[in-house]
Amino acid sequence: MSHLFEHHGAIGAGYRQPEPVIPKETVIIPPALARQKAPRWPRISEPEMVRHYTWLSRRNFGIDTGFYPLGSCTMKHNPRVNEVIAQMPGIAEMHPLQPEHHLQGLMAIFHEMQDMLAICAGMDTVTLQPVAGAQGEFTALRCIQEYFRSIGQTDRNKVIVPDSAHGTNPASAALAGYEIIEIPSNSDGRINLDVLRAVVGDDTAAMMITNPNTLGIFEEDICEATKIVHDAGGQMYYDGANFNAILGRTNPGLMGFDAVHYNLHKTFSQPHGGGGPGCGPIGVKSHLAPFLPGPLVRKRPILATDPLTLVNDEVWYHWYHPEKSIGKVQQWHGNAGAVVRCWAYYRRYGYELKTMSDHAVLNANYLRRRIMDEAQDKGLAHTFTDGVPSKLVKHEFTLSLAAMKGQNGIGAMDIAKGLLDKGYMAPTIYFPLVVDECMMIEPTETESKEVLDEFAIRFVEVLGEDADVLHAAPQTTDVRRVDEVYAARNLCLSYPFDEEQ
Amino acid sequence: MVDQLPNFGREAEMLKTMGMSSLDDLFNDVPEDVRIIEKLNLPSPQTEEEILADAKRILGANVALGDRVSFLGAGIYKNFVPASVMQLINRGEFLTSYTPYQPEVSQGMLQAMWEFQTLICELVGLPVANLSVYDGSSAAAEALTCAVRVHNRKASQKNTLYVSELTPPDRLSVIKNYTQGAGITLRYLRHLSDGCLDMDSITEAAGSCGVYVEQPNPLGILDQNLIDVKSIIGEDTAFIVGVQPTSLGVMEAPGNYGADIVVGEGQPLGSPMTAGGPIYGIFSCSEKYLRQMPGRIVGKTIDVDGNEAFCLTLSTREQHIRRHRATSNLCTNETLIALMGAMHMALLGPEGIRDLAIRNMAACQLAKTKLLEIDTIALPHVNSFHYNEFIIELPGDASDCLEYLDKKGIIGGFDLANWYPDRKNRMLITCTDQTSAADIELLAAHLAVWSSTKTSGVEA
Repeated sequence: MSHLFEHHGAIGAGYRQPEPVIPKETVIIPPALARQKAPRWPRISEPEMVRHYTWLSRRNFGIDTGFYPLGSCTMKHNPRVNEVIAQMPGIAEMHPLQPEHHLQGLMAIFHEMQDMLAICAGMDTVTLQPVAGAQGEFTALRCIQEYFRSIGQTDRNKVIVPDSAHGTNPASAALAGYEIIEIPSNSDGRINLDVLRAVVGDDTAAMMITNPNTLGIFEEDICEATKIVHDAGGQMYYDGANFNAILGRTNPGLMGFDAVHYNLHKTFSQPHGGGGPGCGPIGVKSHLAPFLPGPLVRKRPILATDPLTLVNDEVWYHWYHPEKSIGKVQQWHGNAGAVVRCWAYYRRYGYELKTMSDHAVLNANYLRRRIMDEAQDKGLAHTFTDGVPSKLVKHEFTLSLAAMKGQNGIGAMDIAKGLLDKGYMAPTIYFPLVVDECMMIEPTETESKEVLDEFAIRFVEVLGEDADVLHAAPQTTDVRRVDEVYAARNLCLSYPFDEEQ
Repeated sequence: MVDQLPNFGREAEMLKTMGMSSLDDLFNDVPEDVRIIEKLNLPSPQTEEEILADAKRILGANVALGDRVSFLGAGIYKNFVPASVMQLINRGEFLTSYTPYQPEVSQGMLQAMWEFQTLICELVGLPVANLSVYDGSSAAAEALTCAVRVHNRKASQKNTLYVSELTPPDRLSVIKNYTQGAGITLRYLRHLSDGCLDMDSITEAAGSCGVYVEQPNPLGILDQNLIDVKSIIGEDTAFIVGVQPTSLGVMEAPGNYGADIVVGEGQPLGSPMTAGGPIYGIFSCSEKYLRQMPGRIVGKTIDVDGNEAFCLTLSTREQHIRRHRATSNLCTNETLIALMGAMHMALLGPEGIRDLAIRNMAACQLAKTKLLEIDTIALPHVNSFHYNEFIIELPGDASDCLEYLDKKGIIGGFDLANWYPDRKNRMLITCTDQTSAADIELLAAHLAVWSSTKTSGVEA
């Protein structure tokens, strides 16, 4: 074990700094506010610190470590040139309040990304400001809210979400001040139009939906759903978490959506970084554009009076604030560093982003078929079912382990832990909530056929393992099954210094 | 493109397994009237070398603040991130992992974040911290809504919060967006002519759900009045303090003078400026707020063999469990940037953070002294204590002055007319640990020239 707080090296260990610009003794600290006790931080030298964090990194599973079929999260390879670019001084050493003529390069990239994202989703205007998918949802709902206020429809206070929706959808709507109406899905996991018709009305502000949905299934009735909500005067919101599946094949604009968010950390390969940073731009149709958070980037022909810049001889990029803007959701320009990474990613594909989606869907359907066939061969087809019956899936699919749970008490959690012992990250489990003992598998387009073939074999191997083995899994990981209940009942949220002293 | 897709060229073989002959077959479930037939209206795919060349050209057209003498701050600060930090966060196991839902294979990030929580708790003087929110502005907003959840039942001023009138408009705008949905009324705390808090307005805030002030405040002033706030507002109103975290190397931890929730822009600790994002927001609180706080929290626990282990805990507050009743919609946070913060804090140690704070204060103090020597420039809060930044009053528009300095290769500071449109002659001058004595001399020399032309009426 390596513990950060057990390093008690020399004073000044770690990182030696230059002297202050005036003698230390002459610096005046307000007496009533002078710190009485130093933080109990470690004293750790650079070699020890590097080894500590390297040790920690080796106890952490990333895409670089192995197959990471975590459904809904789109754990695709993160091209490394994107990281190199994000560390260039022209982004890493930029201050958000620098004047426009210092920021022309960054603004050129923002402009290109606004355009690219609008084209991909069939939207009119894009803001890059929201820093996460959930913040994108919230931002779009705020725009919708102000839009309705601007046309005097202040009674629209309800947001409809399917029961298969990501938890952020209802949470974001609640944060904006909406009441939530959760509607049940059909037995095939798709939206139930009769239920939708029954719940829409004069109080409907919006419906939030992801398509393909969280079961990985394309909502074939999406246009009808859009019509129902629009006829009632509501807005349609597209949760872009699953956008990776449909790029270049269809888009939310064509399906009738009014607003979308993009998860740049899913579709456009911003690394997930153990939980963030993400980036959640939103795109809207023109009627919502005046409400977007600013500033956005526009371009105009260069004037003789503009300062000289190097990015483009003919174009001047400038900020503008939409006239009825909701204000800001992040104080600066959003996660600009993530935008730059994703710019590098999109440039790699260009119009071939369609091929990216094709391969994401190809891999998901292929893996699904390989798992079914393998289970059939090994006589284990009875242990699970499709999460919902469907001929085709898009970028991900769900399986239900309910049958197995009934037979021998082995559930999705045990299978997940068994897969860890095979060297895989486990799929998403117990989500979406509409599938009993759910496992949600998303291979992404960056996994080879060999990886998928091997996973299918290992997955079915795990299904066939003894109940005792699976209950005891994982055996090979850095720690064995972790007691989450103990963690909640015996809260230890920071290093217990007192015990040591 | 091909270099990213291992199955490129093998589509037919894979499709055959499924009894299909074309990739189009995979999209039969997309209704025909919404299918796209034509090519996406985007450029051709580029190679890595071409992308890199374009990035160099386009981003090279920016003027990197790092390449200039600069006095621009106002919330984001030029800092130094040790090389080992930059190297370590690029370890693929950190970079390419997801939120640690499977703790058995995520002990590294979980432990690192538990250590981050500890480092923050120690710095701010509170027992609880989460593993980051988006940035300082969402941290402030989340703290305020959290305060309403905890205190509204007992509050005599229901659904009411008091926020410093100095809060920068863009930050206030974020706060307004986050609080409007709950029907919260925002009122403002006044400041005196010396820039410190007017304690009468704190008295007015007693009985509300919470007060939000910053230390140092947005004008760079270290406000000694804050030590009396908690005794005035009492236990039923949350005292929320926004901090510049490096200042706590010399300044008392707000938890030790009554702060209930401490938030802040973590950026100066470990994160490059990156045009304002990704950075990370600090969120820490006392135990009273624990079950109402936003974001992810790591706890130490045991595995089935009784060995030490870590996992996410108190998840029932969160959106993936509680859905519309969650304490926040937070899902993705800023873990990787918080990790940079942890590494930087670890390297600094208790003496290093003090030295860093002193370097910041020293530069600010030297700049005050030097600019005070210029007759034509006034320092409105000259007798106050400052950290990082202070206001100067110019004999002309700050925007003119900044343009003049820019031509001399200096990023002068922040034009306060952006925050207070009627104050056109005020500039916020920021010095950090990265500001040298020579930088300050250069600024003083140019400011003296510019100011003298303004007062003599002769254009420079």
